[in-house]
Amino acid sequence: MLTPGTRVNRLLRFGGLGVALAALLITGVVAVGALVAGGYDPGVALGALVRGAVGSPEQFFSVTLVRSVPLILTGLAVALAFRAGVWNIGAEGQLYAGAMAGVWIGLAAGDLPGWIVVPLVLVVASTAGAVWALVPTLMRLRLGVGEVITTILMNFVAIHLVGYMVHGPLQESRGVFPQTDALAAAARLPALIPGTRLHVGFAVAVLLGVALWLVLRGTVFGFRLRAVGQSPAAARITGRIDGKRVILVTFLASGALAGLAGAMEVSGRTFALYEGLSPGWGYTAIAVALLAGLHPMGVVAVGIMFGALEGGAGAMQREAGIPAAWVSGIEALVILAVLAAGQGRKWLVQTRLERGRPAEASVG
Amino acid sequence: MAELALLTSFLAASVRLGVPLALAALGETVSERAGVINIGLEGSLIAGALGGALGALAWSSAFGGILTGAAVGALVAVVFAAFVVGLNTDQIITGTAITMGGLGVTGAVYQARFGLTGTTLTLPPLSSVPVPLLHRIPVLGPALFDQAPTAYFAVVMGILLWYGLFRTEWGLELRAVGESPDAAQAAGVRVRWTRFWATVFGGLMAGIAGAHLALDSGTFIEGMSGGRGFIALAVVVLGRWNPLWVVVAAIFFGGASALQFSMQALGWDVPHQFFLALPYLLTLAALAGWVGRARAPSALAHPWPKTSI
Amino acid sequence: MTDSGAESASPPSVELEAIRKRFGPVVALDGVDLEAFSGEVHALVGENGAGKTTLMGVLSGVVRADEGVIRIAGRPVRLAKPRDAWAAGIGMVHQHLTLVPTLTVLENVALGVRSAAWGLRLPFDQVRSRLDALSNETGLSVDPDVVVERLSVGERQRVEILKVLYRDPRVLVLDEPTSVLAPQEVEEFFSVLRGLASEGRTVLLILHKIDEILAVADRVTVLRGGRVVHSGVSDTMDSGSLARLMIGRAVAAHEPPRPSEPGAELVRLEGVSARGSKGEMALRDVHLTVRRGEIVGVAGVDGNGQRELALILAGAESPEFGTVHLPDTVGFIPADRLGEALVPDFDLTQNVALALTEAPRYRQGALLRWGRLRSATARLMDLHGVGAPTPAVRAWQLSGGNQQKLVVGRELMRSQNLLIARNPTRGLDVAAGRFVKDELRRMSRSSAGEEGEDPPGVVVISSDLDEVLELSDRIFVLRRGRLLAVPEDRRTREFVGALMVAHAGDPSE
Repeated sequence: MLTPGTRVNRLLRFGGLGVALAALLITGVVAVGALVAGGYDPGVALGALVRGAVGSPEQFFSVTLVRSVPLILTGLAVALAFRAGVWNIGAEGQLYAGAMAGVWIGLAAGDLPGWIVVPLVLVVASTAGAVWALVPTLMRLRLGVGEVITTILMNFVAIHLVGYMVHGPLQESRGVFPQTDALAAAARLPALIPGTRLHVGFAVAVLLGVALWLVLRGTVFGFRLRAVGQSPAAARITGRIDGKRVILVTFLASGALAGLAGAMEVSGRTFALYEGLSPGWGYTAIAVALLAGLHPMGVVAVGIMFGALEGGAGAMQREAGIPAAWVSGIEALVILAVLAAGQGRKWLVQTRLERGRPAEASVG
Repeated sequence: MAELALLTSFLAASVRLGVPLALAALGETVSERAGVINIGLEGSLIAGALGGALGALAWSSAFGGILTGAAVGALVAVVFAAFVVGLNTDQIITGTAITMGGLGVTGAVYQARFGLTGTTLTLPPLSSVPVPLLHRIPVLGPALFDQAPTAYFAVVMGILLWYGLFRTEWGLELRAVGESPDAAQAAGVRVRWTRFWATVFGGLMAGIAGAHLALDSGTFIEGMSGGRGFIALAVVVLGRWNPLWVVVAAIFFGGASALQFSMQALGWDVPHQFFLALPYLLTLAALAGWVGRARAPSALAHPWPKTSI
Repeated sequence: MTDSGAESASPPSVELEAIRKRFGPVVALDGVDLEAFSGEVHALVGENGAGKTTLMGVLSGVVRADEGVIRIAGRPVRLAKPRDAWAAGIGMVHQHLTLVPTLTVLENVALGVRSAAWGLRLPFDQVRSRLDALSNETGLSVDPDVVVERLSVGERQRVEILKVLYRDPRVLVLDEPTSVLAPQEVEEFFSVLRGLASEGRTVLLILHKIDEILAVADRVTVLRGGRVVHSGVSDTMDSGSLARLMIGRAVAAHEPPRPSEPGAELVRLEGVSARGSKGEMALRDVHLTVRRGEIVGVAGVDGNGQRELALILAGAESPEFGTVHLPDTVGFIPADRLGEALVPDFDLTQNVALALTEAPRYRQGALLRWGRLRSATARLMDLHGVGAPTPAVRAWQLSGGNQQKLVVGRELMRSQNLLIARNPTRGLDVAAGRFVKDELRRMSRSSAGEEGEDPPGVVVISSDLDEVLELSDRIFVLRRGRLLAVPEDRRTREFVGALMVAHAGDPSE
């Protein structure tokens, strides 16, 4: 028995939080360094960032939290998939599929009362997201084609399909702008806090985070999902788990969550579909999920944090003249920092194990 | 006669549009043969495009742009390799981050340098170099023998890399590293060294591809790589990890993009978004039809050495 | 075949002095001294965990020693990686064969050797002719153009040895080379080793079977607990004294199996055929019945359908042809502990839960009853002596023996009917292996569990012939997908061993 020294166990149990904090620290240091290197005043930049994110209740509720909705939902989509060993890099495309379907049904059924239309929009959009994920799912399960490339390819297909839709069949009635008509009031999500732009989608996203957490923790399916993700061979041979079924369900659920994010956007924020609706949320979601340690409640927290980052980035561009595009640089940096910190933690566990005193060991 | 002219220009455009794919895919073939799948290829590509544009401006020469693009693409791959080979991180996630970072940072640098609306850059052109006599061959001449120097470079690299991979001791070692790193190490091969440099080489080629893209269109546009890094990954699969077939597969995909112009010339009314999506749809179809028969390097995307934790 | 002439004339070809190596809290090597001379076959022996493999790792550059000096032909060398060992003239034949399966024999032999021209050529003709010459010298022949994954395990070992000899090492190190060979192949193999030594090379090999040690070695070094407890000429030893040196006490001969009283029929396979992972016919027309209260042993070299038979018996896969009758629940001990039996990063409770997600006792609708699972795991650890402070440690933190105890206990929880075990004691030290064997024996004899039910049936599928002979009431041999019954009066090592390997070198058909 190798010594399960208390320090090692503590590292293993609470390491996720440590990794996240270390990653944030690394990101902060590198980001500030990049600002200085780029000739910007980091004080001014960070001040703008903070003001833009949480400077006023208006900013916090109407910008930061509103932006966090698609980030939480796509983050949950990615975290769920990654937990099962499904490399869904396609949340972006699934989000667009949901947005397209949501707008379409919202426009078509806009005459019906809100308590019918809104749920209809959400359900149809989730289904569309799942359908968009179905192609890579079947290619993996039936043909053995890895989902990494196929999900990315589906993203591009979705983006061009949106381009076609808003120039063609779904273009607004005047036919001037490349976007759809605005959704009728009945098809829009009600406000969560009156007087702000925060819509009920935020509450739905948080509740879904809690629900996923409980599913992963307590249910047989959640446990099987984790087993398949950790060790497909042990899941199949010892757990007698039908890994293909788990992957099918998980992949489609992941797509549905991303599709739901698209619906929340068109029904809660923009009320119309246009090209470039998402500034790459499906990719940012990967950073969100990883920084959260693939934990659903972590995704909620990190999603809000990234919402603040995106909100603050706009203010930084306005006030400090820093290009908003740097935000995806920061998000990439977060991913790399999480990876580096995670390896650092492994290294720590290893050296702690090796430093353990022989007296603690009982071999055999 | 009009049809013949159309065919001629279609073939020429296929090769022209296939060149960046071929360059990036050839580099990726080498790194995948060593067991590293670089999803960050798109990042190297866009960085190479911006580097190529800035380099060409600074040196006032297209060739200078190509060199700068190669260096920048390689530099991005150095970051990627430092993570996946040095720190042994997951290749898929790291690569995704590199692509995100590449697109973000190039956008930020471009905006910082040229402003938001973008004074349109005008770059020294990458003019085509006709091969004497041969370029006069009807139909095929302009396609094969009246192209930019990068096109000839891609073909020569295809042949050289084929020889290198299958007919040299280096190539044997590299393939062994991608198939079974443990066995390669036991035989005395430097696994991490090989993987590192194979990956950097892949980034270098993607950088050249990006520079070609910028110089060929005469300007830099944010996100102009347009997913070619991902298509190049598929080209490698279709080319069965064999440099010669990779070049052929790349030209095939170039043809898919070139179809857009031919259809327009023929006056067919197909939405142009369809042609934008066509390469991706074709890639999906081709993956579905081909992957079953192609066999990836066994250790592709596997971190090495394996750790117990 | 002499060890007296060389010794006085020249320095030892290999000399290790005070080698120490720790893995975490475990001291693997505790000041090991070793001398080996050219021209001798030198056996390194000891129990599992004695430090043999670590020591060979140090010599081949795979493991870096913490302290100590290594001298090759009198000169100190630093062996930080396998390249250094090659450069020093040490060639290592690993226990887990290290060939690239998708490359040809020729490519594998050439791999890692730089001939000339900075590696810009691949001189296949040169490699081929040298390989031919080596084959002639040693009698180890193999088709150079075959892709390695198509070769049998025995043939791969030949390639491995040729690959090492191709580099003309002064010192040849082999880690448990006989473990992949059938008894009949071992004798032939030993004569090759003696031939290599007589050319002036040093042959260092790890062995754990006492009769093999005495058959081949000129000299023997015995390791125990990371120290050398004896080193001397093999002529002065017999099996009793060697065993005492290895284990530190006399070993009791194991008692013959108590006759079983088979009960009701549990398993019936009729005309079962199944394909392997590469689409080949891995099982052909297999018939088998298993009754309660008996241990059925299936001997055979791995790769002859063992995996497929085990998975079908475990209910994890269905055959392509034939009928299978199995009890409702089957316990299964797979061959690969950390790959198939356990999820390394799950804690022990989760690993127990993995096998019990269908058991009504541990479920409430769609929910798992983690409280019950936790206390069941604690009870299991108590009952089977799993050495871990709490069920919250991860599976990878346990030693191999404790992992296997956990697996055995868990599978008994899963099923009181039938237990399928593949190579159940592989990689365990003697004590842990003993424990597992006793456990299997005990459960097949006593009425297991509740209210005097009939005892379960057990199937042991193993490449360890001795294990099968020791445990089984009835014995079969699985060879190239066919299950052959061994008559009651012919259950000897010789007869069963011959059945295991007949035509084993022929991968076709």
